Amino acid sequence: MARSLSVLGRLLTVLLMLTAIFMVFAWVPNEAEQGLVQRIFYFHVACAWVAFAAFALVAVGGIFFLWLGQTVFDDLAYAAAETGMLFCTLVLITGSIWAKPIWGTWWTWDSRLTTTLILWMLYGGYLLLRALSEPTPQIARFAAVFGIVAAADVPVIIVSVRLWRTIHPAVIVTREGTHGLEDPRMVITLLVSLAAFTALLVWFLTLRMAMLRDADRLQTLMRNIALAEAALED
Amino acid sequence: MGAFGALLRKDLRLELRAGETVLTLIGLSILILVAIVFAFNPVGGAQDAATAAGALWVAMIFAGTAGATQALAAERENGCLRALLVSPLDRALLFFAKMTADLVFIAVGQTVAVIILVLFFNLDFDRRLAAMALPLALGIIGFAALTTLLAGIAGRLRAGALLLPLLAVPLFVPALIAGVKASALALAGAPLADRLIWFKILVAFDVLFTSAGYMLFESVVTEG
Repeated sequence: MARSLSVLGRLLTVLLMLTAIFMVFAWVPNEAEQGLVQRIFYFHVACAWVAFAAFALVAVGGIFFLWLGQTVFDDLAYAAAETGMLFCTLVLITGSIWAKPIWGTWWTWDSRLTTTLILWMLYGGYLLLRALSEPTPQIARFAAVFGIVAAADVPVIIVSVRLWRTIHPAVIVTREGTHGLEDPRMVITLLVSLAAFTALLVWFLTLRMAMLRDADRLQTLMRNIALAEAALED
Repeated sequence: MGAFGALLRKDLRLELRAGETVLTLIGLSILILVAIVFAFNPVGGAQDAATAAGALWVAMIFAGTAGATQALAAERENGCLRALLVSPLDRALLFFAKMTADLVFIAVGQTVAVIILVLFFNLDFDRRLAAMALPLALGIIGFAALTTLLAGIAGRLRAGALLLPLLAVPLFVPALIAGVKASALALAGAPLADRLIWFKILVAFDVLFTSAGYMLFESVVTEG
């Protein structure tokens, strides 16, 4: 049952992604002002949504892990942090590719860009914390605490960065409001792209969580074998 | 209150005898201020208020994280931390005692850093400098809460000294932005009304991290 459900989910993800790619490259009309390059927006926004959702899951997983102490919540948080980091990196890259022809610069300290960069650094820190230490229950608790604190900090970061930018005159005025989704096909394309990336997030999360669970099982098994061998030698 | 006082006294007495944390803080602050003067070559006075304020806060975050690492190394020696954890102390109390000690150390370090800033940036000991005290104090409270909580994590990892600034600096960003802005406005002699919004952010940050430490320190220090 669970197996056929996961196969169905993967098929759906592939289907959605192919549809989204077709729509973005062949179906949706060009945006009048920005032209071809605006099409990256459908992937960019979808990546941003997935990254932020994943970072929220890091905190949710952390809260449940500290509360109930079940490893599955820690696996969720870890998998979400990795997936979120991947998509956050893609957000920064696709954003830069779009910004160069449209804004004339790869990077500007606009409030959204700055906030995304700080998020990227926060969850980079989370992953370093996990990568630089042995996987123990203690590290899982440390990571949970950091994940919760980081998520709680995000609203303060957003407010402070926005104030920091609005009080300074922005060199380049953002054109977020004029993305030109007047055409209904643009809205549909965006929605399909969002659905496809959300499905991809679920796929990545379940895959990574299964890997973490297997790694944990393998470790227990190896420890038991070592114990049994030691007992035999005695 | 008795236990809190005892914990705080212990940390302060250790520091008075060895002075390692405060000396690390002051030494690094001076180095960072000198490096910034070389890097930006400021003329000083009110024109360079923003650079001066920025220099002071950069010195605080980098010297402060180094100081916290130093304090933890001392705590770990001779199993002192473990002994503390074995005692039937409320973990929240432990957090507030550690945070207060941290706060005192950073405040002493920052006071010296401000005096050096006045010399290096050609400022005056006047009302403008006094107006910088409030954002600085609010920043130090938040920073002490943040580093106390994170040092509980980093202090027990092999790569802790490296991890602490990597974890602390991004989290501190809102207070850094607000603190630098409020300090620069104070040094430039801007009216209080202009600085108010930044104070609000600093207070929000302080409340957030003090309560986070209060609630989560238990999960951090529990063994096993």
